[in-house]
Amino acid sequence: MKKMSGENRDFDGVWVLGDYRNYFQNRVTLQLISKGKALAQKLNTKVSVIVLGEQVHQYAMEYVAHGADVIIVAEHPELREYQVETYTALLARWVEDFKPEVFLAGATSFGRELFPRLAKRLQTGLSADCVALDVDSETGLLVQTTPAFGGELLADVVTPNRQPQMATVHPGVFHERPHDPEAVGRIIYPELDVLPEERVRLLRSRRQQTRSINLEDAQVVVVGGRGLGSKEQFGLLFELAELLEGEVGATRPAILPEWAEEDRLLGQTGKSVKPKLLISIGTSGALQYTTGIQGAETIIAINRDPNAPIFKMADLGLVGDATILLPMLLEALRKRL
Amino acid sequence: MLKFRESHISAHHNYLVNDMLAAGFLLGDPDSPKTFYFLSDIVPPGESTPRISARAFDEHGLLLFELTSNVMGKNPCECASQSIPGGVRILDSSGKALLEVRTEEFTNGYLTRLKARLFDEHGNLRIGDQGESIQVYGEADMAYISPPPAGGTEGNADHEQRR
Repeated sequence: MKKMSGENRDFDGVWVLGDYRNYFQNRVTLQLISKGKALAQKLNTKVSVIVLGEQVHQYAMEYVAHGADVIIVAEHPELREYQVETYTALLARWVEDFKPEVFLAGATSFGRELFPRLAKRLQTGLSADCVALDVDSETGLLVQTTPAFGGELLADVVTPNRQPQMATVHPGVFHERPHDPEAVGRIIYPELDVLPEERVRLLRSRRQQTRSINLEDAQVVVVGGRGLGSKEQFGLLFELAELLEGEVGATRPAILPEWAEEDRLLGQTGKSVKPKLLISIGTSGALQYTTGIQGAETIIAINRDPNAPIFKMADLGLVGDATILLPMLLEALRKRL
Repeated sequence: MLKFRESHISAHHNYLVNDMLAAGFLLGDPDSPKTFYFLSDIVPPGESTPRISARAFDEHGLLLFELTSNVMGKNPCECASQSIPGGVRILDSSGKALLEVRTEEFTNGYLTRLKARLFDEHGNLRIGDQGESIQVYGEADMAYISPPPAGGTEGNADHEQRR
């Protein structure tokens, strides 16, 4: 494999930003370690996880158990809460010293705020919300596949002249490796200089009180889109999900008129699911949405347009008006269950 | 150039030493029959009890006790061991704690914190407390020895803690 030449030759290693907030539900860092490991093998290097915070011992061990070769830790009381200026300055300093070739983060609210700032600071490129990553066998460059033009196309992006090659990755796109209690790794504690002064001071934080929606682990997911026509019709999905012991997801056109909470959004800017059964009702099948349901084992789609893209990926398609078919489906299920 | 310290960690169990995680660490020479040493051995998956072996002295260089894999050997000062939640404590004859070993259970692993104030045969302090971690003085080997990390910065990894 031909590696990049000139000034970029010094860069080596795949880095993953460790986002351990809500660790046992938020698995995107583990998914990135798994993918990072595969990329690192192709690049003949190691995958390192960067962990900033206080009392992060447990997470360092978890990341090793899930495949990280190296953990790089900054432990300090002032890093306990995420603060973007401090984190950006610290990471920029480390990147300049350690020179990783690739730096990945989850496309979470955390990664989406931090990584653009960091990329700007480092004068390098950033691909946001990637749905696939690979190494080009000719150039050794990271190929970052991301939705483009409003999600109508998937674009392969490379960063040929700047390092590190940075990308945020959509949660749920990659599979995490199983926990291996026999794994060992190296842990590095860089000396912390005086932390930069934050212009914004965090006074307190509190967790948002919302009902837990566990779409990612649901075995059955019922998804509604614009074709349901109203909030009342969309509400029938909750009964359908209850009968099937599943969860309700939504596409962006159903979120915008507030038929469902933002937490139920599936797709490029929402969640990715891997249920055994997914019923997609009144959804056209735009790429922004189908990005989040690619892991479903069986898809049943209902749409009045026989040419709707959703039928291309559905295992079973029903052409008809969702507002008529959904009540019929509910009635049939009530009799059987 | 950025300076850093490093050690090797296990996914299953680690000790906290010098504010670092380490799968195990060794101070001194365990093969020498009379000199100070302190060995926190690697705990394999399936086990959760840390294994400590040591030959420890007081500030005057007098032998306090010898431990071999948690079992008391020579004990000229009549030290006593006492169970505490999550671990064990070794006390001298006056009841003062010399060594405390306490293991915390995580969802998928274990972390052992030590408290101690132990000296070598010359009366030099080798292990002391600092916050939630012990601080070791003199040379220490962190379980495994490794090459510098990939990525350019090298040559200043502090395998041997010198204070």
